[in-house]
Amino acid sequence: MKRLIELTVNGELHELAVEPQATLLDVLREQLGLTGTKEGCGTGECGSCTVLLAGRPVLSCLVLAMECQGQEVTTIEGLSVDGRLTPVQQAFQDRGAVQCGFCTPGMVLAATALLTENPRPSEAEIKKGLEGNLCRCTGYNKIIEAVKLAAESFNQK
Amino acid sequence: MHLPKFDYERLTSAEEAGRLLGRYGGDARLVAGGTDLFPRMKYGLLRPRVILDMKGLSVKSPEVNGDGNLRLGAMTSLAGLARDPLVREKAPLLAEAALGVGSVQVRERATLGGNICLETRCLYYNQSHTFQFTQACFKRGGDLCYLVPGGKKCLAVFCADTVPALISLGASIGIGGPGGVRRILLEKFYTGDAVQPLAISPTELVTEVIIPARPRIGGEAFAKFSVRGGVEFAAVTAAVALRMESDGATCSAAVITVGAVSPAPRRARKAEEALQGKRLSPELFGESARIAAGEISPLPHHGFSAPYLRECLEVQIRRALEAVAKRVRS
Ligand SMILES: Cc1cc2nc3c(=O)[nH]c(=O)nc-3n(C[C@H](O)[C@H](O)[C@H](O)COP(=O)(O)OP(=O)(O)OC[C@H]3O[C@@H](n4cnc5c(N)ncnc54)[C@H](O)[C@@H]3O)c2cc1C
Ligand code: FES
Ligand code: FES
Repeated sequence: MKRLIELTVNGELHELAVEPQATLLDVLREQLGLTGTKEGCGTGECGSCTVLLAGRPVLSCLVLAMECQGQEVTTIEGLSVDGRLTPVQQAFQDRGAVQCGFCTPGMVLAATALLTENPRPSEAEIKKGLEGNLCRCTGYNKIIEAVKLAAESFNQK
Repeated sequence: MHLPKFDYERLTSAEEAGRLLGRYGGDARLVAGGTDLFPRMKYGLLRPRVILDMKGLSVKSPEVNGDGNLRLGAMTSLAGLARDPLVREKAPLLAEAALGVGSVQVRERATLGGNICLETRCLYYNQSHTFQFTQACFKRGGDLCYLVPGGKKCLAVFCADTVPALISLGASIGIGGPGGVRRILLEKFYTGDAVQPLAISPTELVTEVIIPARPRIGGEAFAKFSVRGGVEFAAVTAAVALRMESDGATCSAAVITVGAVSPAPRRARKAEEALQGKRLSPELFGESARIAAGEISPLPHHGFSAPYLRECLEVQIRRALEAVAKRVRS
């Protein structure tokens, strides 16, 4: 049976009728049309469905929409302000850390969460912070370079 | 991939949990972080009629009580555990083991209680059975084993990373149910039966974890071996805790717990005895690890053969012992 939940997505409050078995990923993509969040595996292994829930990175394919009642969600669509990219997004672009782009929303959100918690990560910490995000194109080097660059621009501010 | 249909109830108190568990019994499933349950439901391995969401239950912060024991709520997230200053000070072995689970995103949702109640796993069982392995194996209620054709019982293994660490620390758990709360040593919570690995009924839930105070002189270490080294269940884990004499060099008591190679975590008791009363040395570590590899027979799992795992186990225990020797506090 559908139930009503309140969900703040990228700063905007939505009232949504959701089925119990709908995941946060299902609702973001299918009810709200926010298709930036990707489904790779659906079972927690690839990280492409990563979003920030109350500021923390989670896998939207393994969270029920109902579990998020009253909470705040940030998806890739909610990062840039007036078309201005965040330092992480800009660094991914500048370093060529995007190829097919399927992993990119999850990577960018995981990297954003990492830098929020640890603004000066070592390379080992970057790898640990992104261990849950698979990329089948870049070979990861460009992504790690991008996170280092983003950390520099974070810290210059 | 979509979840099958179910009804949803959000638990708000322990009393309500007891009442609803009593009402639904085997038709309901508790969900804490969902990082183990939801993938299994997506694969079609179970189809509960009702999901009882525990996230409305209060999450108790870690605290040290009067007798020096560390008390942790079952709903504490693994990320929260690994970050918590009190846990890092009083049970660094647990924080270390928790950090090895899954990925950042998994640990953010995954709970300690869910890790303790993790289902046993098998390469053949943990997948969708729509075109391969369609005949039910022991774990799915059938009467065959894909891992060992002709085998007489299920050989799925228990892979939770925090559990060997907790057992080596002497942890016990609180289990709440219709008859109140009972407390048992965590080691006794595992039946050794891969089909029903946990000594808990469908009307009960794990409420808390209690870890005794650390010995004044001692040290601990955790080792996890997996092929990729990230977002992967263990091939073998070993958690070692040593209590030392006042000289800081002689071992007075040891606990070695091995995970992922059997349906229940295993103590390497002979290897523990070999350490007792001896001065720590590289030779002693080698000998104790050899004894452990002799007394524990690993089940082959996830593509690893039993002889390979036996060697891994010896190496991981030796390394864990070497790491403890470097960390002994006095
Ligand atoms: C990609 C990926 C990688 C993973 N890697 C690892 C790993 O390396 N090591 C590891 O140990 N695990 C791993 N896991 C499994 C899982 O994430 C963890 O074991 C986690 O701690 C489970 O906790 P949870 O709260 O999410 O459990 P849930 O999925 O909510 O529950 C797990 C089971 O326990 C029951 N349950 C939960 N809480 C209680 C309670 N308080 N009382 C009674 N029953 C309860 C549930 O009904 C369910 O059957 C991985 C999972 C994924 C998706
Ligand atoms: S789609 Fe969620 S982790 Fe792969
Ligand atoms: S850019 Fe294609 S998967 Fe990462």
